[in-house]
Amino acid sequence: MNRSLLILIGALALGAAIFAGSFFTARHTTMMCCEKPADDLNWLRLEFHLGDAEMARIREMHEGYLSKCAELCAKIAGKKRELSSLVGTGTNLTAGAQAKLNEIAGIRAQCQTQMLEHFVAVSRVMPPESGARYLVEMKKLTLGHHEQVEQSMSGDSGHEHQH
Amino acid sequence: MNSDDLKLQELLRGHRPVPALPPRFQQNVWRRIEDAEAPAKSESWLDALAALILRPRFALAAAAVLLLAGVSVGSLEGRQFAQRNAQMNYLAAVAPDSVR
Repeated sequence: MNRSLLILIGALALGAAIFAGSFFTARHTTMMCCEKPADDLNWLRLEFHLGDAEMARIREMHEGYLSKCAELCAKIAGKKRELSSLVGTGTNLTAGAQAKLNEIAGIRAQCQTQMLEHFVAVSRVMPPESGARYLVEMKKLTLGHHEQVEQSMSGDSGHEHQH
Repeated sequence: MNSDDLKLQELLRGHRPVPALPPRFQQNVWRRIEDAEAPAKSESWLDALAALILRPRFALAAAAVLLLAGVSVGSLEGRQFAQRNAQMNYLAAVAPDSVR
């Protein structure tokens, strides 16, 4: 093979190795440096550049919210188990099962209200611009999922079904 | 030397094989002489590039640029990945799947 071509191929391979090596090393180091899996609130600190005082206040609110959230989640889980035993292997949806579904929906709505209230409270601790951005992001991440499903089911037009 | 010897010598000379020249022998000889005397041809772009790569200053600069680019892109990628993970952790804590 031509000597010049060999030099070119060797140089390209060496260049690719230098780039790949530095890329993966830097990526791994950054991930290790920025990631603190034990801390749930790390994202707030990274994304909204919050100070220690703001983080301390939010942490306090977060702990309070988590205990209430866990309580409601446990209720939902209990009602789901009851629903499961009511539905059993039957082919009809009984009145009891429908009532249980309504109960679950009620608790879920309560839970969502509490969650949104928590988001609003957290956003108020942040600087106004960050708070507004946080609220938009959280709404998109939590309620946006349902909106997407509902929009896809309704033909993504925003129009109501016409029967 | 007698007359027989002379005859024999003539006979031998007449039977000495003379190799046949390849076709266009003379033309090819002249062409090779002209090629050898002509100035050296300019090198191809591949040779020029290879020569450039082999220059230490260029090789060092290229390696430094690639290293810097790799570190920059890798850091950016790592930061984005860590932020996405952190966001998922926060979301899992404040909004469990049963609520979303």
